[in-house]
Amino acid sequence: MIEHAIKLALRNFMRHKNSFFINLSGLSTGLACTLLIFLWVRDELRVDKIFENDDRLFQVMEHQDYSDGILTTNSTPGPLGMSLEEEIPEIELAATYLYPASYNLQVGEEKLRAVGTYAGKNYFKIFDYPLMTGSAVDILAGANNIAISETLAGSLFGSVEEAMGQSIEYEGSDIYSVSGVFKDLPSNSTQQFDFLLPYEPFYQENIEWMSNWESNFPNTAIRLKKGAQAAVVNGKIKDFIKGKAENSRVSLFLQSYSGRYLYGRYQNGKQVGGRIEYVWLFSLIALFILLIACINFMNLSTARASRRAKEVGVKKTIGAGKKALVIQFLSESIILSFLSLLIAVGLAGLALPQFNLITAKEIELHFDPGMIGVLVAISLITGIIAGSYPAFYLSSFRPISVLKGTLRSSMGELWVRRGLVVFQFALSFILIVAVVIVYKQIQFIQDQGPGYDKEQLVYFNRDGRLEEQSTAFFTKAKTMDGVQNISSIGHNLVGQQNNTRGVEWDGKDPEMTLLFENVRINYDLLETIGVEFKEGRSFSRSFGRDSSAVIFNEKAVEIMGMKDPIGQRVRIHGEEKEIIGVVKDFHFQSFRQEINPLFFQLSPENSWFMMASLEKGKEKKGLENLKSLYEEFNPGFAFDFEFLDEQYARQYAAEQRVASLSRYFAGFAILISCLGLFGLSVFTAERRKKEIGIRKVLGASVTQILSLLTKEFAQIVLWSILIGFPIAYVLSKNWLDRFVYRIDLAIWFFVLTAVLMILIAVVTVSSQAFQAARVDPKKYLRSE
Amino acid sequence: MIQLKNIARYYKRGLQKSWVLRDISIHIQPGEFVTIMGPSGAGKTTLLNIIGMLDQPNAGEYMFMDEPVHRFNERRRNELHKHHIGFVFQAYHLIDDLTVYENIETPLLYRGIKGKERKSMVADVLDRFNIVAKKDLFPDQLSGGQQQLVGIARAIVGKPQLLLADEPTGNLHSKQGKEIMDLFKELNDDGITIIQVTHSEENAHYGKRKIELLDGFVRKNELIKKEVG
Repeated sequence: MIEHAIKLALRNFMRHKNSFFINLSGLSTGLACTLLIFLWVRDELRVDKIFENDDRLFQVMEHQDYSDGILTTNSTPGPLGMSLEEEIPEIELAATYLYPASYNLQVGEEKLRAVGTYAGKNYFKIFDYPLMTGSAVDILAGANNIAISETLAGSLFGSVEEAMGQSIEYEGSDIYSVSGVFKDLPSNSTQQFDFLLPYEPFYQENIEWMSNWESNFPNTAIRLKKGAQAAVVNGKIKDFIKGKAENSRVSLFLQSYSGRYLYGRYQNGKQVGGRIEYVWLFSLIALFILLIACINFMNLSTARASRRAKEVGVKKTIGAGKKALVIQFLSESIILSFLSLLIAVGLAGLALPQFNLITAKEIELHFDPGMIGVLVAISLITGIIAGSYPAFYLSSFRPISVLKGTLRSSMGELWVRRGLVVFQFALSFILIVAVVIVYKQIQFIQDQGPGYDKEQLVYFNRDGRLEEQSTAFFTKAKTMDGVQNISSIGHNLVGQQNNTRGVEWDGKDPEMTLLFENVRINYDLLETIGVEFKEGRSFSRSFGRDSSAVIFNEKAVEIMGMKDPIGQRVRIHGEEKEIIGVVKDFHFQSFRQEINPLFFQLSPENSWFMMASLEKGKEKKGLENLKSLYEEFNPGFAFDFEFLDEQYARQYAAEQRVASLSRYFAGFAILISCLGLFGLSVFTAERRKKEIGIRKVLGASVTQILSLLTKEFAQIVLWSILIGFPIAYVLSKNWLDRFVYRIDLAIWFFVLTAVLMILIAVVTVSSQAFQAARVDPKKYLRSE
Repeated sequence: MIQLKNIARYYKRGLQKSWVLRDISIHIQPGEFVTIMGPSGAGKTTLLNIIGMLDQPNAGEYMFMDEPVHRFNERRRNELHKHHIGFVFQAYHLIDDLTVYENIETPLLYRGIKGKERKSMVADVLDRFNIVAKKDLFPDQLSGGQQQLVGIARAIVGKPQLLLADEPTGNLHSKQGKEIMDLFKELNDDGITIIQVTHSEENAHYGKRKIELLDGFVRKNELIKKEVG
């Protein structure tokens, strides 16, 4: 029976090559998209789920309570980890670690920059990254220990074996000895570094500020004892910091370490999703694309029904039951969907390198049993969905009417078919609108700019001798070709980095707690980055007392409620400062957030980034000059710079990835929809040839017939736009609402998309319509 | 074998009923060869379809092999139909996508007959009808007479008790027609009950009884006198 069905299916494909290829290409494209999305989703869901005790690993998080809302962060006080481990019995282990950054390492003559950070001695016990040599217990126990990656060991010492015990010079001063080598971190680990230094000695060296319970800097991760309840621990640690520092406004809570990646967004102390939304979004897109492809199959099969009706009729008269026929038609669609799966796997394999590039992932196609199971399940379900309607529709034909030739497609069937196409195009419409709006918003953020000239700004660490000899470095650099201006800053102007609530002014409500971004800068910095002044002046060497001066942004002045700020006095950490200028607001955080209050203080010693503006058109020259100057000051150090706009764009990397991915998928969705529309138009033109013949005999022109045929499809597309519009509107409004600074949801986005869709639809059907309109009436009238 | 009692069939056309069969009562014994005749629109094909269980009467009783078909649901009718009845059409109605062999095999598939047995049954029929050489051809590679031969082969491969034929020679020229009718005669002699619909007086004479319909009533129901010589 099955064998018979397969044979029939294959023969049927061969007979009706057109619809077979349309179905095959539609389904295989749809399945390929679904497969890629499945791989991506699976990869997202696995991020950070790489540790043995995943269910017991937690990140200690802070809610910081301020007058304008609750800020949630993973920065914690320096001594927190050690204290938690001692005082909370449920906590088995705690490790403190800092944000990785790029540092100079040197072995003999070999110098390079590598990304590393400080991490507590329990780090490798909590995060069981595989070690190649050394043991998790003592790898970070010694004050001069350094743990390095396999790759770093290779570049510095040639091999992992030779690396053990060898010395590495760090930042031109301290000597560390290799205590262990870990395997390169997997790409689905959110922590990425090449080396780790022990945290505890670092803490002791900087104990003055690191031990402050009110300053937040490193991250703290903990492992609970077996059987310990996170909820119980949450209760115990909630006011842990308040117990250490009376004035603290911080409450602690635990977040699952691996859950943090997908559920990372907090709004006013509440968990409000995060990347998980994109996981859902893309799963939904996959489902939509697959549905669109299934609809093609349903439509083409039912449209061709009259051709198969005779087969059904005959079979019924020779004893076929409904069940046998349903099985036959279903196996046909399932066979087709498995054929498509084979092609889809090939397509996905071809697309994977590009896909990895867009998504910044390292996904590979592995055919483990689980994967094969999923693939088979997807194709089976696809086959059944695609085949169900045609199967029940075709098998319900009454044999005598079919054989008498009196079978007419009823209005009902026609409506179902049209409804399905409307559904397809409504989905496509929504996808296109979404893509247009995401694209526009991203473009808006990038064109709008932060309010300073970020494009020509480049920054690098003030390391080595640059610190003591910065004045000499500045003087030389300023005369160089391609370099416009240069200064230094303690903040790279992207994101929140250093904030304080220690700002006091006259008339401040004593209950009010507000975070100000604290940016320490050198002379000329504001001129270098080119922020605009609203009033007042910048720091200047011609005023001797500028070290007690402060410059606010507009937002800060507005919040402090000052009418005439210039000359007024505020206290920052108890120190009296005079306001000498107010700069216009500029974006230093993501566009998702409002601009926060900010102030600049003059503090050359604490401004450890060099920030240079390059001359437009001479960026390359300027960079080369800076590099050679840097190497002159710091022989042997690698010049490691970053353009500010790249750093800035990175804040939206996730959105950008989503934008370009959705662009591709929307493209495929419309492509598959059009394939279906094309197939349907081929069929309609075929079916109506006789009617067209008659109309032509009666005097209709080619144009009239063309419009007759195109009108039907244009109407369908119009309906889908009407249905898709409100849904698309609500969805895009929802998405845009996350951005405080956003584009207006203009009606022309929708109009443009609608026009585009109609155009695509008309182009798709018109070739067939045109062919049909040119038929020779004699030929088709005679054949009856 | 077949007992029809007061069978009526109409189609609704708007608010009006258009009667095809008004009051048909017929008995047919096993082994008979009955011809149904009558002008166009007399209800011949409808009657045949009702007997073949492809169509249901609006009123009346239908006993087939002592079973009350008019009380059965579709599934039970289908069971009865596929085990006991074979159909032959004027337009042959072979399945275009299947070869001669596969066309003949299909009804056996629906009866769930196992592969080996199926093979031998099809081979028997192919052999009997002398079409072994054509078994791998598709219907459109055959002449009309040959297609009808396949149609009959398909109808009887499952050894039905009843063979229904709707103008089986209508699309054939006279020589082919005669061959087909001879074949029917032969099958009837082997014991299959045959009911055919035809316009041709000559074909009617192959049968044993003739029923003439007019406007949905039985007008004549008579045995055919065999002319000697």
